[in-house]
Amino acid sequence: MTMRHLRPAAALIGVAALALTAACSGSESSGGSAEGGDWSIPDEDPTATVQVLGHQDTEIVQPVIDAFHEAHPDITIAYESVPFDQLNSVLDARIGNQDGNPDVYWADQPRIAALSSRGYTEDLTDQFAELTDAFDSAPLESSSFEDRLWSLPIANSTQLLYYNVDLLEQTGAELPSANPEERMTWEELHDRAQEAVDGGAENGFMFGQMHRYYQLEPLPVSMGGSAGGTGEGNLTPDITSDAWVDSMAFYQSLFTDGLHPTGVTPEQSSDEFLTGSTAYMVQGNWLVPSLAEADFEWGVAAHPSFDGGDPVTPTGSWSLAMSPFSDDKEAAAVFMRWMAIDDGGGYALFLEAPELPATPEGKEAYFARDIFSSDAGQDAAAIIDYETANTGVPRLQTVGYVEFEEILGRAFSDIANGADPATALASATDELTTAWAKYQ
Amino acid sequence: MSVQARAAARTPATQRRGAGGGLGRRRSRRRTKELFWAAVFLLPALIAIVSMRIAPTVSAAVSSLHQGFPGGVLAAEFSGLANYSELFGNDMFRDTVIRTIVFNVIINPLQVAIALIISVLLTRKIVAPNLWRMLVFVPATVPIVGSSIVWGIAFRQDGPINAILAALGGNPQPFLTSPSQAMASIMVVISWIGIGYWMLFLVSGLQSIPDEYLEAAKLDRAGTIRTFFSITIPLLKRPLLFVLVADTVANFVLFVPIQMLTNGGPQNSTTMQMFNAYRTTYTYSSKNLGAAEVMILTVIMLAFVALQFRLLREDRPTRRKR
Repeated sequence: MTMRHLRPAAALIGVAALALTAACSGSESSGGSAEGGDWSIPDEDPTATVQVLGHQDTEIVQPVIDAFHEAHPDITIAYESVPFDQLNSVLDARIGNQDGNPDVYWADQPRIAALSSRGYTEDLTDQFAELTDAFDSAPLESSSFEDRLWSLPIANSTQLLYYNVDLLEQTGAELPSANPEERMTWEELHDRAQEAVDGGAENGFMFGQMHRYYQLEPLPVSMGGSAGGTGEGNLTPDITSDAWVDSMAFYQSLFTDGLHPTGVTPEQSSDEFLTGSTAYMVQGNWLVPSLAEADFEWGVAAHPSFDGGDPVTPTGSWSLAMSPFSDDKEAAAVFMRWMAIDDGGGYALFLEAPELPATPEGKEAYFARDIFSSDAGQDAAAIIDYETANTGVPRLQTVGYVEFEEILGRAFSDIANGADPATALASATDELTTAWAKYQ
Repeated sequence: MSVQARAAARTPATQRRGAGGGLGRRRSRRRTKELFWAAVFLLPALIAIVSMRIAPTVSAAVSSLHQGFPGGVLAAEFSGLANYSELFGNDMFRDTVIRTIVFNVIINPLQVAIALIISVLLTRKIVAPNLWRMLVFVPATVPIVGSSIVWGIAFRQDGPINAILAALGGNPQPFLTSPSQAMASIMVVISWIGIGYWMLFLVSGLQSIPDEYLEAAKLDRAGTIRTFFSITIPLLKRPLLFVLVADTVANFVLFVPIQMLTNGGPQNSTTMQMFNAYRTTYTYSSKNLGAAEVMILTVIMLAFVALQFRLLREDRPTRRKR
């Protein structure tokens, strides 16, 4: 190769190498701790703009923001929406770069331990010490880690078994009882879903959040399995027990038996049920408001459990966390307090389709909404109240939750697509062991 | 040669020394001025290269030699090559490296070969060649995110491709949800996007081959295949090399279709190094480990590119004797 040829060759190689490394180098963390702690919730509102990052669409959150602006005209909220699946990556990039944007962000409660350990959340313990009595204990606990408060809960959640009365009556099936003491077993639900499909329903059954740990944790736990981790800091994977393998075999059967649709994403599941195509669906309390517009009659029952197993439901929801690098912590705190605490929490009060509030005061207003006035709505309110008080199990509390959720989500997806449950869970265990090694 | 230079050439050497000194100073001043303006005009590009290419590269290399608690705001400590030994001791990472290499060994020659075949066909005497070229190129104009969404729908269990298969009497295929089909499906998507793009360079290369060579081959009674391999390919080496190298780089850093269509699954069958580095860096917050993965990917890719240069190097031109 002559020099004339070598030069472009070397240039191309160089450009290729630089393009590659620049594409994924990210910025190196300089380390150090965030400045913080030296602030308080002001008596009078400062004039400031608070940048907020959330996973909800802007139009959904806008009525809440408008209500806040009315109550606190000097503070402007600049809300930015990021899809749920990308929220953590975006947060990681921005806060990892010690960016003052966002000031406040939606934080998934099981990630609080990971987020606070990484220095991504401001310690709110001192500033909110006298205000935490406003919360229910479970969501408050989910927003804390090692006895410090790292975020404010703005919502709680539970799951219910919804059904399409028209479809069930069409197949002559018996309607499930709304009494939580008479909840259906998963085995029974499988048979009923099969009957519905045989009777012409497009889908027999559907999980609202398929392949997600939040939704599927109750399956192994109902069979007596652990939340997925044991040992110090819950950093030893525990997902290959009989309870996990057998419950995942059941999960797979829903797909292989053609009862559960495969191409529907969690974002699309509620709409899929609302089209009237699905006989049964386990979905969160947030479906109730949408059902008011359904053009079929709907009913609701308690979340199923396995035959002989414990009744278990998912719980927990979202909190608001403050970035330690926020430039406007006082204004951010005013916004967070208004969202989570004032009058039961502005987030729950002004959201058109409200989420289950994390405060008793907010819950009173929630159950008084029109959406719960119908017979089915009354059943839903009673079940939500019962499940949040009796059967909710928190997700795995570990500093390695981010990896846990990601790896397990892929394993669930593989199982639904036909991978052997025991093999998929063993493989996920290997991945988890590697991913968690850095925390040991 | 300029007028001044010719005059200087005629002047005796002793006189030239004094006059040449003034001329040299003027030249030197002019040259300095030119260099100054060259530097001014090049400065934005140099700043961009240093800040957006060289600095991140050095940063990634340095970062890969550190270890720390995952997360961006806590200090990492120097750990030498610990990240590299950790990676090579991990079965899953080794599988990812092998998968990435196998993928590139298959996809790059395949894409370039298909692009070349289409280019040759479209430079033949056909009706409306520009229309055909445009049709092949159109997918390259669609943003890759849009293409991925469309293919995601096309490959669904209840999607149009399976509907066609069923209508033809075939069985519906799992495509993106099967570990044995997902990688091939990704290859289809990126080829659909890439082939039209690479075709443009090859069409231009084919059109720049002088007709005399082809006519000479015809006079020598060379057949189509012989002409293609003895005339077209040798004269197309430069554009071919560019396309192959650029295609290789693009495929080594493939990310969007994988994230959107399979998220590395099913059963990690489409987890490639670039996607894995992203996941390690941003999903698991292990920036140092992610940087080490990128450095390894860079080295492997450079080896590939160097090999391609070697395989496609042009023969050293022989000096013509007078």
